[in-house]
Amino acid sequence: MTKAFLIDVEKCVGCYDCQIGCKDEHCGNTWLPYAESQPEIGQFWCKVNQTERGAKPHVMVSYVPFIGGQDTAIRDFAPEVCMEREDGLVVIDPAKAKGRKDIAEKFEGVYWNEELQIPQACTGCAHLLDDPDSPIRTPRCVDNCHVDAILFGEEDELDLEGAEKLSETSLVWYKNLPKKFIAGTVFTPADDEVVIGAKVTATGEGGTYETTTDDWGDFWLRGLADGAYKVTIAHDGKELALDVDVTDKDAGLGDIAFE
Amino acid sequence: MANEMVTTTQSIACGGTGGELTAVDSKDGKIIRIRPMHIDERYTEEELEGHFWELEKDGKKFRPSMKASPNYFALAYKNRVYSKNRVMKPLKRVDWEPGGDPAKINSANRGKSKFVEISWDEALDIMESELRRIIEAYGPYSVLCIGEDGHRESKDLHAGGGMHANFMSKLGGYTRETRTPDSVEGWYWGAKHVWGSGSNKGLGMIAPPQTGYNSWNVIKDITENSELICFDAGDFELTQNYGSQFWSRLLKYWEELGKEMVLVDPFCNYTAVCHSQHMKWIPILPNTDAAFDFGVMYVWITEGLYDKDYVETHTIGFDKVKAYILGEDEEGIAKTPEWASERCGVPVHTIKAFARNLAKKVTSHAHFSSGSVKTPYSHEPGRTGAYLLAMQGLGKPGVQQLHLNASAMAKEEIARSTSAPFSSINQCRMFYPNAQSIPRTMVAEALKTGKAKWWGSPCIVYVETSEQFQEFNYPADPQVALAMQQAMAARFGAEPPTEAPKMSKVHMLWSEKPCNMNCWDGGFNYQDAIRTDEVEFFVTNHQWMENDSLFADLVLPVTTCLEDNDSMGAGMIVSVRHSGLTPPACDRIGESKSDFEIACELGERFGIRDQIDLGMTQDEWIKYGFEQSRLTEEIDWETFQKKGFYFPKLAADWDQLPPGMRGFYEDPENWPLDTPSGKIEFWSQALADAFPDDKERTPMARWITGGPAEEGWTHDESLWGERCKKYPLLITANPARFRVHVQGDDIKWFREIETVKIKGFDGYDYEPIWFTPEDAAARGIEDGDIVKLYNERGIVLVAARISERITPGSVMVNKGSRVDPIAPHIDRGGAVNLISPTGQVSKHCKGFAVTGYLVECEKLSMEEYNQWKADYPEAFERDYDPAIGINRKSWIAE
Repeated sequence: MTKAFLIDVEKCVGCYDCQIGCKDEHCGNTWLPYAESQPEIGQFWCKVNQTERGAKPHVMVSYVPFIGGQDTAIRDFAPEVCMEREDGLVVIDPAKAKGRKDIAEKFEGVYWNEELQIPQACTGCAHLLDDPDSPIRTPRCVDNCHVDAILFGEEDELDLEGAEKLSETSLVWYKNLPKKFIAGTVFTPADDEVVIGAKVTATGEGGTYETTTDDWGDFWLRGLADGAYKVTIAHDGKELALDVDVTDKDAGLGDIAFE
Repeated sequence: MANEMVTTTQSIACGGTGGELTAVDSKDGKIIRIRPMHIDERYTEEELEGHFWELEKDGKKFRPSMKASPNYFALAYKNRVYSKNRVMKPLKRVDWEPGGDPAKINSANRGKSKFVEISWDEALDIMESELRRIIEAYGPYSVLCIGEDGHRESKDLHAGGGMHANFMSKLGGYTRETRTPDSVEGWYWGAKHVWGSGSNKGLGMIAPPQTGYNSWNVIKDITENSELICFDAGDFELTQNYGSQFWSRLLKYWEELGKEMVLVDPFCNYTAVCHSQHMKWIPILPNTDAAFDFGVMYVWITEGLYDKDYVETHTIGFDKVKAYILGEDEEGIAKTPEWASERCGVPVHTIKAFARNLAKKVTSHAHFSSGSVKTPYSHEPGRTGAYLLAMQGLGKPGVQQLHLNASAMAKEEIARSTSAPFSSINQCRMFYPNAQSIPRTMVAEALKTGKAKWWGSPCIVYVETSEQFQEFNYPADPQVALAMQQAMAARFGAEPPTEAPKMSKVHMLWSEKPCNMNCWDGGFNYQDAIRTDEVEFFVTNHQWMENDSLFADLVLPVTTCLEDNDSMGAGMIVSVRHSGLTPPACDRIGESKSDFEIACELGERFGIRDQIDLGMTQDEWIKYGFEQSRLTEEIDWETFQKKGFYFPKLAADWDQLPPGMRGFYEDPENWPLDTPSGKIEFWSQALADAFPDDKERTPMARWITGGPAEEGWTHDESLWGERCKKYPLLITANPARFRVHVQGDDIKWFREIETVKIKGFDGYDYEPIWFTPEDAAARGIEDGDIVKLYNERGIVLVAARISERITPGSVMVNKGSRVDPIAPHIDRGGAVNLISPTGQVSKHCKGFAVTGYLVECEKLSMEEYNQWKADYPEAFERDYDPAIGINRKSWIAE
């Protein structure tokens, strides 16, 4: 049996409760033998990464919680400092890991505690899971989440359909990781009206994506694979073609004059 | 280990109406963790049958979660309780001596010189001797009690607000600093003249008089009937931080139901970016919403897209507004989408699309206390907001105004209102009229000039619209004051006084809410006013060494809500409202005492303690609060104590109550508004009669840009005047997501979030200023640069965050970063309200204007930075903590 996290990015509202809950549990609290106290700032065993995407007025922010410490590659790299656990969680034993800065340097999400000279990372709140008297029996990031964006449980009991991982060895699954978008507002300059119902097609190396402009003249082509696209806007027998590259970043095209 | 752990249930730091249930696990007097309460630790789902609401639409159900969702703040409150900024012992400014001697009070050094820790005995000696001296010399009305609304912080017994005022009232009186209606200005000063008093009989957001001014079931009506939700002033995701995070779930439910949402805002706010798949963002220049709205109304009128029958039967005065919009009046300017676009920056096609979408889809408007309702001349967008709803048939199924006081999910049998908690122990004095008062917005003017004149009390709630036509003055006319005292005595059945009180000017400030310079308007002006010899003694009660306390002569350390034995619950924003006991979760920090206890101890000194605590212990007070409430109808004291919290039963007919303004919509004759006509008044005869010469707030909403003071204008804060040539950027200064107003700027775990602070080259964590790439580039400003944000009122240092979430021509700085003075009118802390206007809303409307005003920005040059360091070395040498920045040690003399 193996424990795992499942994070649905689409459900996340960027509240940082997971990041804060982790700090509330571990900063200033020592949970030996599982974990030494986390320094008051600077470590993020659960870290929300935010990315602003697009351009005004087609903007969105992606919030992606990241739990770097729950990666079995850490245990494979340094089995001698990791606790042996039936549930498969990766827990760096603070008593055995003294001086192992190399672990913090090698793995994102593992932090070096200069004062204690130990690497520190997410323990899955093993101290809560193992304590039958604890008022909560899940990792704090999960308990703090109020929109069920982070789930925790037996890997084979989680609904992992369509889920993916950032690395093969991670214990953290994701759904709805951000994919690129192309968005714009289509309008006709002659009468300064938005164009409703225009057919918008993006064709490129990542495939073909289609949508129509809505009541605001807007189109959002979402879930695009990275790459260059030919975007065609068609309405009333007229057509406009644009070259849009979303290899590196999303495209908020703003107002698009359609004549 | 677990055996020693104690769990208490709390409502943490949620103002006077409480907040979501929060569990605090403690051990040995220390807080271990703060987490969402799992309600099933105390109640089964069966037990809660009839106590929990349920909404249903298209077979999709929505119920409260058995796990509570505390506000961001509560979950990080360990940082606040154990902050390095906590005041541990009473603090006295090093160069201030009691006695009022100008040579010994060193008033000019307020906000500059440091403090020494003193004992409580010394502090109480100072309080006693100064109060006796000042009352003897000038009379009790020379004491200004600031912050009648208190720290709140989910406290009840310990900070019901105005413990100082309560105490002073026993010593013969005090001058009341009246909290002006905040975060509702546009509704209060504008929309009240359109649709009447509104919620809580006075706030100005709509509510029917027939239900005691409560709008129930608005969220239910929106859920069932609205297709489009228009967010036009404020941030739903952000504003919930006052009490919970439940609204995130509500928004998710609405997403699931396929609701469309649109946001008209200078900033692509958190509601937009967290729910972006369902939200259309329309960027707009700050404080141009009235122009946008007129453009929308022009489309409706010319295309026949509004509810003509409703306007005919439910409103009066529409013809005048229609003529203004069509250019068929004396002004002769049609408010076309082109006209609107030039002013608000929204493309013509988007204004038209907005107008048609609202006409085509059943639309409700959500207003959340920010943006245009807090601007110069906010009564204009407040009124156009009301006009839009009136033209769509306000009250029709799915056509409602959703606002803070219309957000209750269901009515309980014993509910007092849509916002009030189920019990109140310590009746707050904030709603008490007083013989002499000064509106919070006018304290600086009153101190500097010795006088002030205003219209309306202006109290935040329980004030009818017509009160705004009444003139008030400081100093008060003793005969007027006597009449007020007699009226009050008659109300309470007491012996009426016959002699007029001796009125005097203010010489002592006593604040239980020391954040006026940062939370209210014109902060630098306020600092100037405090730095005068007129103020002989300035004392604050506060938990943390911040803001106004830096300018005090004496600071008294106060407990946080987690240290007090108290009772609270939640009256608004939360998923299910509750009442609960909140015993101490930890040991006292330092030598702090609650405001209640401070008043009691001072009462001891003056022989009036029994008038403050009424001879009751704290436990007796808490039980008394319970017994005074209607909770006793449903639960007995022993069970309440055992369970710790209780959710009152829903009213049997809760889901049948007419939602929001439905009664008025269906039957305006029997559900009239409390306007003079009983109908919605597009044009107000009452305003025309009361202020015939007011060109700023005329009888109906107009596009008002102000102008030069010599021509009688209060403001020149738009892009259509003279000042914009020097200060061409319009600023948005709304509350922050990870602070509550000015509270929580020292929460170290929030300061690590990338949008919260930006580390400057000097290692100081500056408050971000959000720029568009083009506006930043035009000024040579790059991401992370320290920026000088200024106008003629002063300079605030901030750091640049380049973003696409901003409307070009505007910048955004969240209000509430702590004050960190470099010199008079130069601040490093990023407290943006320091440079907000000092002129209130408009001539007859003395609310605050704290957003949508003019500023300019430039990259701070090294020359200027070094010059300041040379000129004001002490400001740069104060202790700076890498985790929380400025802190208590920064202000303690070595």
